[in-house]
Amino acid sequence: MENDQLIAIDTFCTYYEVEYSFVESLQNSDLIELVEVNESRFLQIPQLRKIERLIRLHRDLDINIAGIEAVDNLLNRVDNLSREILTLKNRLRFYERDL
Amino acid sequence: MPFVDYYQILGVDKSADEKAIKNAYRKLARKFHPDLNPDDKEAEQKFKELNEANEVLSDPEKRKKYDQYGKDWQHSDEFESARRARGNANSYQGQQYSGGGDQFSDFFESMFGSGSGFGGGRQARFRGQDYQAEVNLNLQQAYETHKQTLTVNGRNIRITVPAGIENGQTIKIPGHGGKGSNGGPDGDLYITFQIRNDEKIRRTGNDLHIKAELDLYTAVLGGELILDTLSGKVKLPVKPETQNGSVVRLKGKGFPVYKKEGEFGDLYVTFDVKIPKNLTERQKELFLELSKS
Repeated sequence: MENDQLIAIDTFCTYYEVEYSFVESLQNSDLIELVEVNESRFLQIPQLRKIERLIRLHRDLDINIAGIEAVDNLLNRVDNLSREILTLKNRLRFYERDL
Repeated sequence: MPFVDYYQILGVDKSADEKAIKNAYRKLARKFHPDLNPDDKEAEQKFKELNEANEVLSDPEKRKKYDQYGKDWQHSDEFESARRARGNANSYQGQQYSGGGDQFSDFFESMFGSGSGFGGGRQARFRGQDYQAEVNLNLQQAYETHKQTLTVNGRNIRITVPAGIENGQTIKIPGHGGKGSNGGPDGDLYITFQIRNDEKIRRTGNDLHIKAELDLYTAVLGGELILDTLSGKVKLPVKPETQNGSVVRLKGKGFPVYKKEGEFGDLYVTFDVKIPKNLTERQKELFLELSKS
């Protein structure tokens, strides 16, 4: 992972106003992956979108880490099912003239 | 501009206390939160309404103004001036969700002003906002890799659309969303492709299906047929005694496989044998003769 694709956890916590312990809890639950470079820990920028979502779930809905983990698993399932539905819909289009 | 009943949106009574409002908001937010309802525009809209209602009713000053003026919101300027004079405007730490659009209604803006609690989203503080766009293509356009220029939020973006893209497929263009701040990365642009069905050529995955009309004589005696396909005209030999509804497969003449250059699906041709109409007396005699042979 390139250095410009990493963000120091301290910087992240400052801008997103989250506790370091919250980020650690996310990692302990395998919801995110932290990278260690020269004894400092970083987040990967491509993961930011997901982390933002997890923070919103925590803040907006007052969901704890266990709840976030459950919601994340369910959302991944929803995502897979949505893709499956899209594939099936595209097959169905074969029989439908007006779509 | 219609009046917005914030109490009704949260499903609480006008006498509801702070705790009841908070509980009602949390309960409904858990139901309609955009992160829990991906790609659901209705839920997103509902959540915006909930946020707006919560923004007003959970703030004692805003609630007071709302209760005082309510349906007479057009005359609330005096209250607004007084509030500004006191200089204690609250800043709303709202979220910005992808998809854009206004965060609050016109009603809210006219009552509380557009500067009240807007644009302070947490995302805007670091990573830029993600943008969503939709591109409509016909089957021919999806068949070929081509470049397209899109205008997203006033910015022209030139993208390459790879051949073989599926209907409903979304691709991510990193860094083409909103600008990041405080050194944060820009957001991403998500483009969803809608591909219209073609009247003559149908697609299933990487395969194409086409119906070819065949006159009776060619079907019986054999010959050849020129087909119009997405890659141009194709000469198709027709075997003698070809049956109506029979299907031939032309390997590698189908749709390009997404991001696999040189790989194509197959083209399936279904023969639609047409029976001649308006036969002459002589033709009828010949068919009669054939039927007896």
